[in-house]
Amino acid sequence: MMAFYFSRLVEIFPFFLKGLWMTSKVAFISLVTCTLLGFILGIFRSGKNKIVKRVIGFYVAFVRGTPFVVQVFIIFFILPEWGMQLKAFPAALLAMGIMGSAFICEIVAGGISSISKGQWEAAAASGLNLVQQLRWVILPQAMKVILPPLVGQYVLLIKDTSVVSVIGVMELTRVGWVTVVRIPEGLMVFSLVGALYFVISYPLILLSNYLEQKMAV
Amino acid sequence: MENIIEFKNVNKWFGKLHVLKDINLQIPKGEILVICGPSGSGKSTLIRCINRLEDIQKGEIIVNKIPVHDKSASLTRLRADIGFVFQQFHLYPHMTVLQNIMLAPVQVKKMDKAKAETIAMEKLDRVGLAEKSGAYPAQLSGGQQQRVAIARGLAMSPEIMLFDEPTSALDPEMIGEVLDVMVNLVSEGMTMCVVTHEMGFAKKVAHRVLFMDEGKIIETGTPSDFFDHPKTDRAASFISMILTH
Repeated sequence: MMAFYFSRLVEIFPFFLKGLWMTSKVAFISLVTCTLLGFILGIFRSGKNKIVKRVIGFYVAFVRGTPFVVQVFIIFFILPEWGMQLKAFPAALLAMGIMGSAFICEIVAGGISSISKGQWEAAAASGLNLVQQLRWVILPQAMKVILPPLVGQYVLLIKDTSVVSVIGVMELTRVGWVTVVRIPEGLMVFSLVGALYFVISYPLILLSNYLEQKMAV
Repeated sequence: MENIIEFKNVNKWFGKLHVLKDINLQIPKGEILVICGPSGSGKSTLIRCINRLEDIQKGEIIVNKIPVHDKSASLTRLRADIGFVFQQFHLYPHMTVLQNIMLAPVQVKKMDKAKAETIAMEKLDRVGLAEKSGAYPAQLSGGQQQRVAIARGLAMSPEIMLFDEPTSALDPEMIGEVLDVMVNLVSEGMTMCVVTHEMGFAKKVAHRVLFMDEGKIIETGTPSDFFDHPKTDRAASFISMILTH
């Protein structure tokens, strides 16, 4: 029986690849968005405007203080209430973007705050404006602190894409659910799902370890 | 001589702490001014107000005809004409010495790189470190780092150079090389404000010494008058303190 299921699994393997492709798509688009948004938020969070800082602080706290699966449901179900019919895929990206940017915001703000006040002052005293201070003096130094946890966060975000299966996005985990109904070998099916996630995240884990060692020097 | 820096009834608070009290000060163009006083007297704060690293709450500061106290004043224009040297150097650790010096001319003045490099090498030569242009700050001694910081300030060809205790963070054997560089700058005719306790430097080059205590200017005078015949008890006890130190 086992062998039969295995050959069935091999047969429908392209279905898994499709799921992997969808997972990669959700992951890639949301990582890019989260990074951009997270840097912008993180820069403002370490800025001087107290109101902006507090608003971002609350946003981050809300995202950290609620389960991601609940956030996904809120976005998926609240938008139609407001007259916006969002399909599962864009809703998933939106949820990922909101969640991921909050975590990256904290990493970026932490990196920026690790740079001494003297660096800001030296750059300001020489006439550089705020954007130039960040671009040439602060961020290049902060990147050393930001990069290792950022790549680590990427791994977490990739894994979190599995949550959007709950609203019907046909990504890897959802493929697992659908398959297990027809091939009742749960262990076999989900081992395959796990292995496919690992294929994407393992190189990033190695990269994160490497960066941590390199930046520590 | 026209005044390049002018303080009118300047007051500043850090929270509840009143750090500058009714400061009135005129600094003529080309003057070498030494500011001294016990720690916490407000001397660093005073020069940090000149390029608005610190905001003031009351009064007026005019620098190079720019009203610094005015919130809408162009900080970029103001600061491009003022070199600032910090106690802790604050070189950019991720850049080479040459890149440190070239950054502001290229980014602020939009100078082309070749010209900025020529000027940077010229200034580096001025502080005697031309051979270190490719080094990173961490590879230099404290004295060398401070000389690079001076070159960085000079690269913008400023009218004013501000020094905030430039030798206080240095080992004794490195103080001399930094002071020598500063003495050499005097001939360039820049206006210089130097917060320092280095009496030798003050006596050699300063036109005027200003003594501060508890946020107030207590007395001013020529270096020889101030150090040899201080008018106030507070100045006298301060001078005897730095002498015995």
